[in-house]
Amino acid sequence: MCTVTPISLTVGANRIVPTIAIPHPLGNPALDHDEEKKLRRRLVEKALKALQTPIDDQTIFE
Amino acid sequence: MKLELGLIHVTDVQFGPESKIEGSVVYLNEEEIKKIVLEDETIKSVKLDIARPGESVRITPVKDVVEPRVKVEGRGGVFPGWTHKVDTVGEGKTNVLKGMAVVTTGKIVGFQEGVIDMVGEGAKYTPFSKTVNLVLDIEPVEGLKQHEYEKAVRLANLKVSTAIGELARNITPDEVKVYEHDTIMEGIKKYPDLPRVGYVLMLQSQGLLHDTYVYGVDAKQTLTTMIMPTEIFDGAIVSGNCVSACDKNPTYIHENNPVVEELFAQHGKTLNFVGVIITNENVYLADKMRSSDWSAKLCKYLGLDGVIISQEGFGNPDTDLIMNCKKIEAEGVKTVLITDEYAGQDGASQSLADADVAADAVVTGGNANVVVHLPKLDKVIGHIEYVDTIAGGWSGSLQPDGSIIAELQVITSSTNEQGFGKLSAR
Repeated sequence: MCTVTPISLTVGANRIVPTIAIPHPLGNPALDHDEEKKLRRRLVEKALKALQTPIDDQTIFE
Repeated sequence: MKLELGLIHVTDVQFGPESKIEGSVVYLNEEEIKKIVLEDETIKSVKLDIARPGESVRITPVKDVVEPRVKVEGRGGVFPGWTHKVDTVGEGKTNVLKGMAVVTTGKIVGFQEGVIDMVGEGAKYTPFSKTVNLVLDIEPVEGLKQHEYEKAVRLANLKVSTAIGELARNITPDEVKVYEHDTIMEGIKKYPDLPRVGYVLMLQSQGLLHDTYVYGVDAKQTLTTMIMPTEIFDGAIVSGNCVSACDKNPTYIHENNPVVEELFAQHGKTLNFVGVIITNENVYLADKMRSSDWSAKLCKYLGLDGVIISQEGFGNPDTDLIMNCKKIEAEGVKTVLITDEYAGQDGASQSLADADVAADAVVTGGNANVVVHLPKLDKVIGHIEYVDTIAGGWSGSLQPDGSIIAELQVITSSTNEQGFGKLSAR
C-alpha cells in the first residue's frame, strides 16, 4: 500500500494498492471520523483482495 | 527584461549607535533590528549576534538564510508579497549586500534544520561559512504552534533583510552585473542557430513546514508556470522550508540561483536561454502527475532543445524529478538533472528513491549520508541540544566533548541541488 506508486514499481513490488497521500497514506484528515473509518476499511479490504488475486506481473490495484 | 545587480562588497557587520553602511562595513543599531522583529506579537524575544568567517562559532538549528537586497529602480520591491506589495519585479536596478547574510535560529520548528560552522571541518561544506552572518535567535510566545512559529521566523528574517537592504539604497555599488532576458521572439531572431535551453526549477511544496512561496503564494497551491529569471534575483521566491538542511534551498540560494546565473552567462554564446519553468513537489500522486505533465507541456510549447532540472529535498520528490525527466524527454527535449544522493554511509545503496533510463545525464551535489566529525567550537549561537534530533543526527551525535558526529545532511546547503554547495562527483 503506497501513495507514490511509481516508486513501488521501481523497487519491484508485485501487488500495489494506491493510498491517499504521503503524510497520511491510510487516512484523510479532511474527512469526519465515520467517513474516514469507511475509507480505511475500503483500503484494507482492497489490499486483502489484492493478496488473493493471482498475478503474472507487477500490478496496481486501482 | 533587464535587471542590473549592483554589488556592494561587505567585509564586516558591526553593532553601533547608527545603522549605516560605511565603506565595506555594515553598522547596525541593535535596538532598531530588535524592534522590527518584536513588531510581531507572536515573538517573545530575540537575541542578535554576528558570526564571522574563521571565528570558532557554530549556529544551529538554522532555519533560513537571506541576502539583504533593495530595489533601487523599477517596479515593486524585494520579496514581493511579503515585505513589499505584489508587483512584478525583475526589471531596473537592485543593490545587493554581497558577503553578508541574515540567518534565523531559535527553538526547533521541525526536525530538519541545519548547522553552520564558521571554521573547521563543517565550514568546508556550507557556503554560509564565507558570509558575515547577522544571526536572529528568536523565541516564540508560549503555546505558539509550530507552523505559526515558522511563519513568524520567516517574516522576521525577510523584514530585517529588507531593512538592512534599505541602507544600501543610495550607495554606489562596487560592481554592476547586467542580466538581460530576451523575449521568445527576440531570442529566436538573435540566436537562430543556438540550442534553445530552459530551466525547470522544482520547488519543495510538501506542506507541513515544507513549503516555498512565489510572490507570497504557497507553491503547493499552484500549477506549473513560468517566471522571469530576473524576478528570482529580486526575491520572488521565498523559502518556508524545514526540509533536510543539506538540500533545501534557503531564500539566499534562490536569490543567487546558480543555474540561472550560469544560463545567463552562456546566453548568446553557447545557448539561447529561453526561460524558467517553476513546478512543485506535492504529496498527492495526482498533483505529481499533473505538475510534471504541465512541465513537459510547457517545454514542448517553448520549442526547447534541452532543459536543466533541479530538485529540492529528497525521497518522494525523487519521483517528481523522474516524472519531469521522463515526460520532458518523451517530448523530444533533452534533460540534465541536478540532485543529491542518499546512498548510505558507505555510498553503496541506490542514490535516489526512483529511477528511469531517461535519466542518463545527472549532476550530483554529493552523498548526504556521509559521516562527518565536527570539532567542538568555542561558541554556539542557538540551541546545540537539537543536534541529536535533526535529520542526519542520531541519539549520541553530540559527543561528551562537545564535538558532533553526524551525517552531512545536518550541514546547511552542503549538498545543494542547485549546485550552490561545494561538493560534486565524477
